[in-house]
Amino acid sequence: MHIFIIEDEELIRGELKILLENALYRVTAPDTFTSVTHITRQILDEAPDLVLLDINLPGLSGFDICTQLRRHRDVPIIFLTGRAGPMDELSGLLGGGDDYITKPYQAPVLLARIATVLKRAGGRASGEGTLYTKDGVSLDIAGCRLSFGGRNVDLTRNEMKILHLLFRRTGTFVPRMDLIEHLWENHIFIDDNTLSVHIAKLREKLRSIGVENFIETRRGMGYRV
Amino acid sequence: MKLTDFLRDRGMLLLLHLVCLFLAAGFFRLTGYSSANTVLFLTVWILLLSVWLAHTFLQRRRFFRGALEILDKVDQRYLLGELLPDSCGLEDRLYREMILRSNKSCVERIRRIEEEQRDYREYMESWVHEIKAPITGIALLCDNRRENVPASGTDYLTISLENQKIENCVDMVLYYARSEEVYKDYLIREVCLEDVAFEVLDKNRLLLIHSRVRADVSCRDNVYTDGKWIAFILNQMVLNSVKYRGEHPMLRVCTRRENDSVLLIFEDNGTGIRPEDLPRIFDKGFTGSNGRDNGRSTGMGLYLCRRLCDRLGVGLSAESEYGAGTKLYLRFPVSSHIRDARLPL
Repeated sequence: MHIFIIEDEELIRGELKILLENALYRVTAPDTFTSVTHITRQILDEAPDLVLLDINLPGLSGFDICTQLRRHRDVPIIFLTGRAGPMDELSGLLGGGDDYITKPYQAPVLLARIATVLKRAGGRASGEGTLYTKDGVSLDIAGCRLSFGGRNVDLTRNEMKILHLLFRRTGTFVPRMDLIEHLWENHIFIDDNTLSVHIAKLREKLRSIGVENFIETRRGMGYRV
Repeated sequence: MKLTDFLRDRGMLLLLHLVCLFLAAGFFRLTGYSSANTVLFLTVWILLLSVWLAHTFLQRRRFFRGALEILDKVDQRYLLGELLPDSCGLEDRLYREMILRSNKSCVERIRRIEEEQRDYREYMESWVHEIKAPITGIALLCDNRRENVPASGTDYLTISLENQKIENCVDMVLYYARSEEVYKDYLIREVCLEDVAFEVLDKNRLLLIHSRVRADVSCRDNVYTDGKWIAFILNQMVLNSVKYRGEHPMLRVCTRRENDSVLLIFEDNGTGIRPEDLPRIFDKGFTGSNGRDNGRSTGMGLYLCRRLCDRLGVGLSAESEYGAGTKLYLRFPVSSHIRDARLPL
């Protein structure tokens, strides 16, 4: 997935690039903004899957770029801006934007909204599978189920999210804080103690399908599968 | 205007007449007029004087009553000069001209101050938008480094949290400016309260996790309001709950549909508010004993919440048990017009 960033603040541009590249997107971010037509041409040549567009650019307006772009191609556009007035938001959406995110944005929120817009535009957000396997234990994301040797057990949403992150980082210890943050990003607002309870329940469930010591604990490091 | 006041005001005139009456009576007596004629003459004089005084009194009273009535009716009282009823009296005209001139300078001054205030407000808004760029830069930088440079993760986390505080302060300024303005800056549309609550918790994710707060959100209802303003209000509530948290802090945000309103309940199990402080928590600058103990309260957060709620037509109230927790209620009226319009035909 290719994302085109138009942002004149150098720091923000650089950090956005790192953030998106870490999320496995391909990123193009030019650092000169000569004219609307020039930028539009550039975007059309690159043919990205999504454009992140700042509204206040030196000497030109993101709205104009959006209008120009819309004349040629139907690429998804997300406005990023410091302006938070309702009228700005309205003109952004009326002007052909797919979403409108005000600064300062939260990295996870930004990523989630990019994923949503991409999904709506018909692409895949990122190449994540729905089935993870480790040592014969497999986690079925879609079915919200854990299986081992032909025995299944259903998971709650919270347990599924915990296992999902552990499986995604198989082999490394995942700090408890990371797990909690991951859950918060998925709108499960738990604290440290509750996490321990969930882990205990997960171990119980794993035991019920005949898996022992699957989730390793190391003090001060976190959990590992 | 009372009759006695009027007569006292005309005291010199009455005195003059009295002296003249005595002089005339003395003169008639010396020149040998019959006393019957003198009495008749004096009676007619007094009668004429009384009629004239009565007439003047009634006329003046009508004039001032009219002016007072106008003054009561208009909301911009400094425009009285333009609205005074016509009068042919010389003094009235002179006074009226003076009032007009004074009004004019008053109006000019008000206009100038309004203009200055608008400029100031516009500058504030653009300043807020400008400062958001560096805040965003810092936030993104910290987010990226926190994961990629684990060694100094906690440093970046601290910077992130402090940066978040700056953002909250900046938001306060922005919404303070907006709450002053009477005519613009909000957009009413259908808002999913759950999304707003999620947004606020997301925004304060790091602060909440590190304050070991649990939260529970269950807001099934949608309302018509301005989502950004509600987000600001909820944000203030979350910050307060974190500031005055107890052991095992817990937040609960839920909604309840009532007859002609949707009630959003924001609940925490923090310090709570003392009963004697409770009626004043929404007052400007009120910090209460909690604020004094804490030493970092500005008394602006809840005041702004109330201002914004007033403007959105949302009812805001609080309930608290000291030492056990606080419940804040936002009551969104549901317009019967909108409800009816949405019924299937």
